[in-house]
Parts: sequence; C-alpha cells; structure tokens
Amino acid sequence: MQEKPKLGRILIVEDDRKTADALVLGLERGGYQTILARSGEEAFFLVHSKQPDLVVLDLTLPQRGGLEILAQIRAHSNTLRVLILTSHNSVDDRVTGLNAGADDYLGKPFSFPELVARVSSLLRRSTGVSERSSPLKLADLTLDAQTRTVSRSGSVIDVTTREFDLLLYLLNHRNDAVSREMLAKDVWKEVSRFTPIDNVIDVQMTRLRRKIDDPFPVKLLHTIRGVGFILREPEQ
Amino acid sequence: MKFTRPANIRTRLAIWFVVILASILIVYIAAVIIFQYVLLERQIYHDEIQDVETVEGLLYFDPQGVIHLQENYHSHPQSRLLEDRLMEIRDLSGTVLYRSETLHGQILGGASSPDEGANSYNERSTRLSDGTRVLLISHLHPIQDKLVLIRLGYSMAPLQDRMVRFFLLLLVATPIGLILAGFAGYRIAKRALLPLDIMAARAESITASNLNDRIVVEHPHDELGHMAKVLNHLLERLEQAFVQLQRFTADAAHELRTPLSSLRATGEVTLQESRTESGYRESIGSMLEETTRLNQTIDGLLLLARAEATRSDGVKTSFSLFELVDEILVLVDVLLEERHITVVQDRDDGVPALLFADRSLVRIALLNVLHNAVKFSPDHSTIRIGFSRRESDGRAYQRVCVHDSGPGVAAGEVTQVFERFFTSNSPTTSKYSGSGLGLSIAKLIVDRSGGQIFFDMSVEHGAKCCIDLPLL
Repeated sequence: MQEKPKLGRILIVEDDRKTADALVLGLERGGYQTILARSGEEAFFLVHSKQPDLVVLDLTLPQRGGLEILAQIRAHSNTLRVLILTSHNSVDDRVTGLNAGADDYLGKPFSFPELVARVSSLLRRSTGVSERSSPLKLADLTLDAQTRTVSRSGSVIDVTTREFDLLLYLLNHRNDAVSREMLAKDVWKEVSRFTPIDNVIDVQMTRLRRKIDDPFPVKLLHTIRGVGFILREPEQ
Repeated sequence: MKFTRPANIRTRLAIWFVVILASILIVYIAAVIIFQYVLLERQIYHDEIQDVETVEGLLYFDPQGVIHLQENYHSHPQSRLLEDRLMEIRDLSGTVLYRSETLHGQILGGASSPDEGANSYNERSTRLSDGTRVLLISHLHPIQDKLVLIRLGYSMAPLQDRMVRFFLLLLVATPIGLILAGFAGYRIAKRALLPLDIMAARAESITASNLNDRIVVEHPHDELGHMAKVLNHLLERLEQAFVQLQRFTADAAHELRTPLSSLRATGEVTLQESRTESGYRESIGSMLEETTRLNQTIDGLLLLARAEATRSDGVKTSFSLFELVDEILVLVDVLLEERHITVVQDRDDGVPALLFADRSLVRIALLNVLHNAVKFSPDHSTIRIGFSRRESDGRAYQRVCVHDSGPGVAAGEVTQVFERFFTSNSPTTSKYSGSGLGLSIAKLIVDRSGGQIFFDMSVEHGAKCCIDLPLL
C-alpha cells in the first residue's frame, strides 16, 4: 500500500500504556501523525510546543484532570479540535464534556473504526473540506443522493430506504471499516446502547450484499469479523 | 421573648400535660366557687325567711305602744349575743319602730319603698354605712292588728371571707398539685418512651454486616410494637435488597469473567503455535466478538442501574403505544422478512392507547420482549400482538401481549426468566441464549413505570408475554 500524505497532527493524551500504544498505531496507520502525552503536565506542554490539529483527550489522568486541560486549551485556542475519549460515559458526563468545550465525545470501550471516522470528520471540519459530493462512486458502483438511485455496471438496483441510507453511509466511509455501533447510531439512529439490533444490522447487511454484490463477480462489501464491515475498492 | 422548644418529647409531653391540667383546674375552681357562692346565698335567703317567721311570733307591742322582741327563750342570757341577725321594724309611714343591737345604730336598707314587702318576701342586696354587704328581705306582717314592715338581713361578710379563704387555699394547693402532676407525667412519658430509646440503640447498631438483626418486639399490639414491626419490615426489605445486590454483584463478576476467560483462552491457544494469517485473523476476530459480548453485558448492567435509579418523577411523556409498537416493528422488519415471520396485530377497540411513561425506556422493554419473540419463533410462523384494556385498583391499564410459536417458557421458570443473568437450562431454548439481561431490564423498566410484566401460562403453545402499562 502506498504511503499516504499526512492528514493531520494528533496529540493523544492517554495514561494507559496499552490503549495509548493502540491509538498511536491505529491512527498512524490511518495516515495521521501522532504525538503521545502520558500526563496532564506533558499534554499541556505539548499542546504549545507541537501545535497539533486535534487532541484525543482522556479525562482521568494523573496530576491534572482532562477537563482542566480542556479548560486551559480553550483559554488559548478555539480552533484546536478536542475529542474526549473516556470511560465516564453517562449522558451527564457527555454534557459536561461538551459544555467544557470538547468538539466530540467518545465513550470507552470504543470501536476503532468509529474513532477514526470521528477524527477524520473533525479534521475535515477544521480544514473546511466539504463532504464528498454526490454522485458517489466506488469501482462500478454509483449512488446518486439527489435522485436516490443506486446502480452497478450501468444497471439500476432497486433498494429500500434503509438500504439506501446504509449504502450512503458505507460509501461516505469507503475504504474505512465501520462498526455495528456506528451503524446503530448513525444509520438506525438508536440512542441507547442496549438495544438488541446487532442481528438486525447483520441481516440488513446480508440483504444489501445480495443486491449489490451477489450478482457481480467483484465483491465490494466485506465483513471484518469482530470489527464490522467495509466497503472498499477491489484490490488490483 | 423567644420561646425555645424543648428538645425531647418527654419534656414537651409533660409541659403540655401541665398546661392543659392547669387550664382545666382554673375553669373548674371558678365554677366551683361561683356555684358554692350561689348555693350558700340561697341557703341564707331560706334561713332568713324562717327567721322572719320566728321573729313574727316573738314581736309584741307593750301597752305604751312600743314594740319589743321577746328574748326570754334563751337558756343562757348570753346566748343572745350569738345571734347575728340584723333587723329593723318600721311602721307603714317609714318610722323605725325597732332596730336590733347588731346594727349598731346603722340604717338597714335605706328609706322604705311604697309597696315594700307587699308580696310575701322581697329580697335584695344592700350595704350598711360601714360597707358590710347584707342580703335583706322585707315582709309586711300584722302585729296586734297593726301592720308593720319587717326588714331582716344577714351580713354576707362571713360567707365572702370563707370563699376568699377557700380560693386562697386552692391557689396555693393547685401549683403544688400541678408540679406533682408534671413530674409524674414526665416520669410516665419517660417510661412510655423507653422502648423507643432501646429501639433506637438497636437500630443504630445494625449495619450491613448484621442486617439480619431485628428489633425486639415486646408488645406487638401497642403503638411502639407496631413501630418496631414496621422497622423490622423495613430491615427485612433492606436485607433482601442487600442480599440481591450481593448476589447480583457475584453474578455480574461471573458474567464478566466468562467472556474474559474466553478471551484469554483464545489468545493463549492462538499463541502456542504459529498459524497462518487467516488463522490469526480468525482468533483475533473471535476475541473481538467476545469483547463485544463483554461490552453488551456492561451496557446492560448500566441500563439496569439507570432504570433502577429512575424515580417516579423521571422524564415522563405521553405517547401512543400503537405508534411505539409500529416503530419497533419497522426496526425488526428485516428480521421478520428474512425468516418469513408474520406479525398479526389485534387492535379491534381502535382507541389510541396513550401511555404516560419514559418513552425511551418503555421502547427498550418492548423491543426486548418483541426481539425475544422473534428470536424464539420458528421460520414461517406468526407472532400475535394483542391489545386490551383493564382496570386495577381504580387505575386504567393498557395490556399488550406478544404471543409467539416458539418453545415457550417452562412452567418452573415462569418467574426465573425475569431474573438477572437467567438463561434457560431447557435444551430447546439454550441455543438462543443471550446476555440474560433483556427480560430483567424489561421487567425493571415496566415495574418502574408502574406496570407489570408476566408470562401468560394459559396458552397451549409458544410463549405469551404480557405487559400492563398505566394509561394516561
């Protein structure tokens, strides 16, 4: 795979070593440059010296709490994006975090594809690059959001509303894995995390695959066991 | 002046007792004195009339026309001095014919009025010139054919004196009595409240480690006994809740350990020998699936905690049950289609059922129940959703029943299915086992919404889960 250009510089503030390592590895693989801070003091210093584009911030840190760091960041800069990543995951915690000036909030345990999706969304927002415009294309698959039509190899495919929304979402995240949590939240608009719809998603995905992949020799939609799904270009 | 309220009930009770007793005594003393005074005055009046009768017989005119009172009936001459009657005899023109020595020359009752004494005995109260109060009666009587006016009275001073002395006596005696009564009242109150102190001491010693301790009930039928029983019931409920919590914590630890051990075992086994790339992918994928399961269990526990903490004053809104059911059916529609399951709804009453509850929670409860039904239904079968209304304790409830054609609920498991982490031992259902929290979450939500959830065991096949929810 060719080396991608650096998409942005991310400061990761995380005291748990394993989580930190996974974040560094995962985000660098996703094409981002990363800087790691293991304490609040270090984070505060690095925010000023390294000028990151985005901070992934844990709330429970030694020495200084994440919210304190957030307040200090906000006192100096309103453009620096901050994504809170924490196990404090109640609605109240979210509200507190967002009110304190965070741009996004993700509860632990999180799915990595979701983190990547949010990071890329935040960085797009900060650089002003717009969403990929329609019609969306992937190989010979085309989706026109204006006319709400899907076609592959020139022949129109009849899809339901839900299937269309699902495909649109997958196309917007093409070449990136999407987790069931992301789909539940963004496509099915389920707010509660304890609604048993994982098998609804799986069945819906099977049906979508039946329509857009099964009749064609080249497969685009893949399941990554334990992670979720990915719609990607066929490998050459 | 600032009145500070005494801190303990004993003192307050004693003070109240004394204040009330004092008020009653004051009223009582006043009534007794007035009643006695009136009664004695009547007695004096009565005596005076008798005395007039006596005197009438003892009066005579001597040949010179001077009136005299015959006093030779005394056995001892000095006994005369004992008589304290005050008397004047007047002729009809008002001239005083006789005046008793006890008057010491004072006029008794002023000038005669025209028809004084005409009607038997006229009674009135008057004062002598020295200020003595006199109860006076006047009577006309002929003596030796000559009509005279007899005025006879007794001084009220001795009676008034006696009354004042009686009053003073009571004035001294009453406070002493009140002090004694107050002291006794305090002792009685202290004695009566003693079991409370014992109960308080006992209750204070009860902590999480000896929740099975109970307060001793000495007299089960009196008020304090009742109180002790109520406290014991409270302790019992607390103990049950505590035991449940302990069991739940143990269960939760166990439930979290199961996916953890699976994770660990998969990792260990995978690393014991080199594998192909797809072999590693397989193992890591399996481990990630376990983390999903772990995560779902934790989310379920958090949801339970949230529903548990929901008070009756939570975020309640009114919403249509029909709409909610439709919304859920749209969500699971793809599952139904895929497995060719038909859903038949029975809404024959047609009245839109408006519920009043936390919609997001009720949605989770209904979704869990319906999802269970879909999970256990065989392909090409039918799920029936029935709606009906019912009254209970004066409140209207909407019942919604979901009836599937799956293996059903075993008779012995009808209440167990709602317990946390329950998964059936029955071989027909064990292949469907999930996190074991779905139905307990549904039950908690329905309970907290003021309704109830149960399995209707009267059906011949399949499972019929019914939920009653309070109507708006």
